[in-house]
Amino acid sequence: MEYIIEVFLDDYRLEKIKGSAVEQQIEAVFGGELKVLRVKVGEEVKNEVLKAFESARIDSRACITDTPVAFRRALFEEIAKQKSLSEEVVKAVIARIDEIKELAAKESEYLPPPEIETD
Amino acid sequence: MSEVYFKRPMPHGGKLVERVISDKKIAKKYVQACEKYGAVYDIKPTLHYKRGVPVRNVYREIMSVCYGFFSPVEGSMTSAELESVLTKRRLLSGWVFPYPILFDISKEDYKKLGVSEGDRLLLRLKGKPFAILDIEEIYEIDPEELANRTFGSPETNPEVVREKFDDKHPGWVIYRSHQPIILAGKYTIINEPIFKPPFDRFWVPPRKCREIFDQKGWRTVIAHQTRNVPHVGHEFLMKNAAYTGDVEPCHGILVNAIIGVKRRGDYPDEAILEAHEVVHKAGYIKPERHMVTFTLWDMRYGNPLESLLHGIIRQNMGCTHHMFGRDHAAVGEYYDPYATQILWLKGIPSYGFDKPVNEVEGGLLIRPQNMKEFWYCPVCKEMAYSDSCNHTKEKEKLSGSLIRGLVAEGVQPPTVIMRPEVFKIVVKWWKKFGYPFVNEKYVQWKEEELEVDLPDLD
Repeated sequence: MEYIIEVFLDDYRLEKIKGSAVEQQIEAVFGGELKVLRVKVGEEVKNEVLKAFESARIDSRACITDTPVAFRRALFEEIAKQKSLSEEVVKAVIARIDEIKELAAKESEYLPPPEIETD
Repeated sequence: MSEVYFKRPMPHGGKLVERVISDKKIAKKYVQACEKYGAVYDIKPTLHYKRGVPVRNVYREIMSVCYGFFSPVEGSMTSAELESVLTKRRLLSGWVFPYPILFDISKEDYKKLGVSEGDRLLLRLKGKPFAILDIEEIYEIDPEELANRTFGSPETNPEVVREKFDDKHPGWVIYRSHQPIILAGKYTIINEPIFKPPFDRFWVPPRKCREIFDQKGWRTVIAHQTRNVPHVGHEFLMKNAAYTGDVEPCHGILVNAIIGVKRRGDYPDEAILEAHEVVHKAGYIKPERHMVTFTLWDMRYGNPLESLLHGIIRQNMGCTHHMFGRDHAAVGEYYDPYATQILWLKGIPSYGFDKPVNEVEGGLLIRPQNMKEFWYCPVCKEMAYSDSCNHTKEKEKLSGSLIRGLVAEGVQPPTVIMRPEVFKIVVKWWKKFGYPFVNEKYVQWKEEELEVDLPDLD
């Protein structure tokens, strides 16, 4: 079975992949309001991601979700570096798993809230 | 003609349980008698049997029992009642009930207390008198056996259980983490806790809820179970499921959130309640038709079993209908995604239901409204129901996980996924807790603070 890891794109990330082959693979979803890259992985890589992160799960769309922000950030960096959406980008991130787990441990305590008015 | 109108169902078991003493003079007498002749026990959270973090607080069960949410249950179950629940999902009285409700203490505490059958135990919460437990029976359990039998297994419940339950399942962990000594008997609250904001404005026990339905003129009410902040898919589920009713759509939509210890990654309870409230405050559903409430319960994530408890709670609150979706109150892949709907449409014999829940003796009167899913359809350009919209290739599924991913990265979800007012509520509580979701720090803080304070009896 094939599983998907989604990487959402904001303006900063869009700039990073501008002009690359990956830019052609951007998908616009939800009426064009959200831009996303989709990395497809097989059973083995899916299991490695689930094993690495207790929070990770598979949702009803067969997407691997609830991975730490540090993992998704590293995944985007790898996509931008390799200019590819192949399974290899995930494998490259898994190779740095200790470093990512350390960052993920810190982010489980605190995540900066967005600067929007809430009152 | 009157036959076409649905009547509000009676409470499960025929009568609402109300075991709350609000007269302080009487309460003080109980306290004095317990301090003189009985024993006193300070309620503590149940800790994870391996990791030592809070997974449950029995005070929530005592509240739900004494205010009637779990009617006809009146207290901690005796060994015979426990056996009946585990084998047949029935109380000894014959009424359907899915889960063991137990007051558990450690062997050390049992020795220290020195109580025996027939004694009265004063239960303190946050150091103040809270409730009494009239001990009818004391017995020992094996927590692992309790956990396994509570949920079943692929071998014993092959119709719906897909994987063996283990320590990744929060409900299994709760029962596995129970202490081995059970004090069985009826609870009575003698000092009513005071809910802190924002919980105070959503606390509507069954009797009060039924009165409010009368005042609002709601003949038919559909219940919406939640443990999540609402995304637009939830909103459409509520709006569309409410088209059922009798001769007209349901008059009311009752959101009833489950408040208690949750999984890491769920939203804080405070955000869940206020985010549902803002759905009507911002006008996405008329406030005249939508009401937000909660029940105290540390979720067991038992899919079909949890749906039984949800049906019981909301029937007791006076609802005529209950919406059930895919993966109802589920986690992981332990159950068939439609296990709840199978239970309510056909029954699950291995759990004691050879017929649907509404058709068995001692069953429920609340009607199920089984729904499939809503997705965003870029062709229809709207939120669409999966059994109506035929753009199955183009569909874009919403999931809580997708939204959590956006939120964690600080990306505001598009309006078609999450209303901006709902996102603002998420951020409001994010600013308070330094984190948008339940994490270890929140769980620890929550279990020290709880949702309530206890007043002085003097």
